[in-house]
Amino acid sequence: MRYAIEVRGLKKSFGEVQALRCVDLAAAPGTVLGVLGPNGAGKTTAVRVMSTLTRPDAGTAHVLGLDVTTRAAQVRERIGLTGQYAGLDPNLSGEQNLVLIARLLGASRRQARTRAHELLERFDLAHAATRAAGKYSGGMRRRLDLAASIVRRPEVLFLDEPTTGLDPKSRGGLWEVVRELVAAGTTVLLTTQYLEEADQLADSIAVIDAGRVIASGTPSQLKQAVGGQVLRLSPARPEAAERLVQLAEWAIDVKARNEDGTVVVPVANAGEAQAVMARVGQAGIDLAGFGLDEPTLDEVFLTLTGHRAEARDDERTKEPAA
Amino acid sequence: MTALHTNAATDTTWTTKRGALAQSASMAARSLASIRHQPAQLIDFFMIPLMILLSITFFMGGQMMGSWQDFLQYAGPTIIAMGLFFAIVATGLGLYGDIKEGVFDRLTAMPVSRFALLAGRIGADMAKHAWALLVVGGVAFAIGYRAEGGVLGTAAAAGVLLLFLFSASWTMALAGLTAKSEEQIQTWMISLLMPLAYTSTIFVEIETLPGAVQWLAEINPLSALADSMRVFLDGGTPGGEVLALFGWCAAIVAVFVPLSLRAYRRRLGD
Ligand SMILES: Nc1ncnc2c1ncn2[C@@H]1O[C@H](COP(=O)(O)OP(=O)(O)OP(=O)(O)O)[C@@H](O)[C@H]1O
Ligand SMILES: [Mg+2]
Repeated sequence: MRYAIEVRGLKKSFGEVQALRCVDLAAAPGTVLGVLGPNGAGKTTAVRVMSTLTRPDAGTAHVLGLDVTTRAAQVRERIGLTGQYAGLDPNLSGEQNLVLIARLLGASRRQARTRAHELLERFDLAHAATRAAGKYSGGMRRRLDLAASIVRRPEVLFLDEPTTGLDPKSRGGLWEVVRELVAAGTTVLLTTQYLEEADQLADSIAVIDAGRVIASGTPSQLKQAVGGQVLRLSPARPEAAERLVQLAEWAIDVKARNEDGTVVVPVANAGEAQAVMARVGQAGIDLAGFGLDEPTLDEVFLTLTGHRAEARDDERTKEPAA
Repeated sequence: MTALHTNAATDTTWTTKRGALAQSASMAARSLASIRHQPAQLIDFFMIPLMILLSITFFMGGQMMGSWQDFLQYAGPTIIAMGLFFAIVATGLGLYGDIKEGVFDRLTAMPVSRFALLAGRIGADMAKHAWALLVVGGVAFAIGYRAEGGVLGTAAAAGVLLLFLFSASWTMALAGLTAKSEEQIQTWMISLLMPLAYTSTIFVEIETLPGAVQWLAEINPLSALADSMRVFLDGGTPGGEVLALFGWCAAIVAVFVPLSLRAYRRRLGD
């Protein structure tokens, strides 16, 4: 088995809406695959197909070598799922939720209780063990949810936006758990809207947009493709922003953007940032501020989908006026 | 989250597999767990059948049979049965709510028998019906109802009633799994369950019904239920009516359990 998760040509429509147009994904055993995409990209739909909850219209999905449509029962034996929306019973306490799952998976009463306590302890929820899950805070619910999906260690774990709404501490804690699981051999597929999260955890990343994979590779490959970092320039006089965009595009081969008076320039390395700054200096434009940042997911998308090679070639033929 | 036990995230030892019935029991316990948080629910479960019994007996019983005491003696138990029969709608509403909740997504993606996910809800509702039967039956006894069949006859009547409710609940499981809204389930209840109750022998003897309705009452499963309960309560010899009731129960289960399971799997398609 080369891949623990292997998806080919997945398509799924809901009436008029084409949630998945063509999705291919692959994750080697014991690795983390990050699926990155904006709202409505089709992340949840893809996860639901892979975790046997939704039937695809076309294409195939294999988990641990098993076809998820024809061998769903065997797949369910070996996966864990933390959906985007809490998969908990709000009327049960945190402990009861975990005990129920352990019991359904075959644990004895005593084993179930032991395992529940272990997990509550591990996820910092011991103090709320007997409180109804419906009364948990968003972050607590998310943690309980993750705990519930590893009551029995899954061979493949699907996490759909596991850290959305978590504070930085909880997010770090969750990353730690994912790393532990991977170290023990679990393959993890996690969807996220945070580039940083994918960068931190994923061995490979697939970027999906409007139901298609528009880019995939290792985090560093992807960052190279989108220009690694972004240079932000705030001109002292807002009117100068359009001029800055032009200058930056002349300086290096990228598409810069004016975002409410701040100019965003994707840059691949320090040399490119220097080239842009030099050109701005030559033109004598005063800057109120500037800085290098990690690109946000938005920026990755604009860069990945907004590349118009022809347009940029046209612009390059125009010589700078200054 | 502190790394208290580094292996806590990964360590599991049990490998046993529990059957569909054990899983159903776990699911039933889950559905009943909220009672511990809100014990007042225990009153909700019997209020509707109790009010149906009392209001019909006191306000209509006299007109229908001369005195409310006579009416209670004839129709009390079957009116309790009707109240509980209407309460099976809770199964449809409960399942409708269940599958909308995230927890059912999780359970569906787990190696849990689909039958257990549905039967757990029905099992829990059966416990509620049994509780309501106990309370409302107790009230009937308190206001003067006496069964000639004694304890055994009463137990047998309660038994066939619960058996029938269990079977009928599967029709509601199908309703809960296929309805587009909660209102739809309520509408189905009014348009199917109520006419069924009023064209049966729950209130009156079959001879007193108009001709066309007599024919309906003849084949109505609720008539089979009412007649069977009366046979046991009156200490009579069980016969065709009990066989008819068992036939109905078997037929309903044979048809609606597979239909419900299929509807549950269908929902995965969308
Ligand atoms: N059950 C459904 N019925 C109809 N449309 C649906 C259904 N599920 C998803 N869609 C549509 O499919 C598209 C993809 O949705 P999906 O939930 O997979 O996106 P997502 O990437 O998970 O988004 P988000 O980041 O907001 O969670 C959206 O346009 C959504 O409206
Ligand atoms: Mg989603």
